[in-house]
Amino acid sequence: MLSTREIKQRIRSITSIKQITRAMEMVAASRLKKVESRVLASRAFTEKMHSVLNHLVSSLESTHPWFAEKEQAVPVIKIILITADKGLCGAYNNNIIQKVVKFIRENTGKEIKLTLIGKKGYLYFSKGRQASLVEKYIPESTERLGYDHVQALAGQLIKEYERNEFGELHIFFTKFHTVMQSFSTSMRLLPIDKGTFESKEKKSGGEYIFEPSAEQIIGNLFPKFVETRLYQCILESLTSEYAARRVAMIAATENAGEMIEELTSSYNKARQSTITKELLEVVSGAEALIQ
Amino acid sequence: MAKTFKFEIVTPEKVVYSDSVICVSADGTEGGLGVLADHAPLITELQTSILTVTDAHNKKVLFALDGGFMEVVANNVVLLTDKCVMEGEVDVEKVRSEKDTAEKALQKAGNIGEKEKAQAALKRADTWLKLANK
Repeated sequence: MLSTREIKQRIRSITSIKQITRAMEMVAASRLKKVESRVLASRAFTEKMHSVLNHLVSSLESTHPWFAEKEQAVPVIKIILITADKGLCGAYNNNIIQKVVKFIRENTGKEIKLTLIGKKGYLYFSKGRQASLVEKYIPESTERLGYDHVQALAGQLIKEYERNEFGELHIFFTKFHTVMQSFSTSMRLLPIDKGTFESKEKKSGGEYIFEPSAEQIIGNLFPKFVETRLYQCILESLTSEYAARRVAMIAATENAGEMIEELTSSYNKARQSTITKELLEVVSGAEALIQ
Repeated sequence: MAKTFKFEIVTPEKVVYSDSVICVSADGTEGGLGVLADHAPLITELQTSILTVTDAHNKKVLFALDGGFMEVVANNVVLLTDKCVMEGEVDVEKVRSEKDTAEKALQKAGNIGEKEKAQAALKRADTWLKLANK
């Protein structure tokens, strides 16, 4: 059994850990609040754009090259993976990385090229034989990735797609649902799933007027759509990260509290047993004197 | 009172404006256009320009747009744009420095892509300044 002094020391160190986790929890909570409003705004934009495209596509006769599965697609798949820069956010990083690992295993016949956003993903994939898969690492922290950055990245990817340098573009991200719930998922950004636009809500109002032509609008709108989707995914991931960190830190704070309680009770027990022992010694010494 | 319709300006960063309005006049890529209530369904591309909105109280509100798309359907008008700023919210200092950067980039531009990009940035800065001076 530990001595009272050792137990006391332990209690002290756990108390300071508890303070740190509590502080981290609060930091995560305030960041979460900020980024949550951004994700909601960007969701509004993505949804509006989706509905505009929906109307466009349903009134378009020919299929646009961006929809079509290329018949002789290059067997190259690009993957964008969004992770956090830091740990201490539960299974957030691991879940999404495992998804990518599984995807790579399922597509062994094809060449995989990874674009990594977030340090944790980079640290995982830059080691060992997987390192050859990494094509690009974006070192900016996700929080500072503004729309301009995303635009540049998307623009480059679109150019590469048009030059037929890869056949498919997938993005692995974590979709934010509530603070307690988010889902690590993946989505195909290119070619665009035609199913996305199977219009469920057919707005009446007759034929649309297009200025300039529908083809031209689509040609300009699609790159935007890819951009906004990418931006949306980054924000969703960022929000999920803070939510995950907050939840993890709440749990850590709680655990530290429980541990302190346990240690305090064992400290009390230890103290009591020393007192009892000392008392016994005194009493038995006195008894011996009387006899 | 004139009939109103719902008008929204949305950027990826936030919903800039959402209200009932009487009239929206914008510069499309094919020329100027005005939208009143009960307009026929329309999807159009917009230029980097100044947009004039007449709200339900007959007050004019101006915005500077960095291009974008506008959809008109069933008295619901949605304008999607990368960047948009309302009158009185222009950060003149910042826009001036952006204009300088754009001008320098234009001089240095080697290929058509860079040139177009710099020109777009310059046009945006000019539009922003024009709004600030109105």
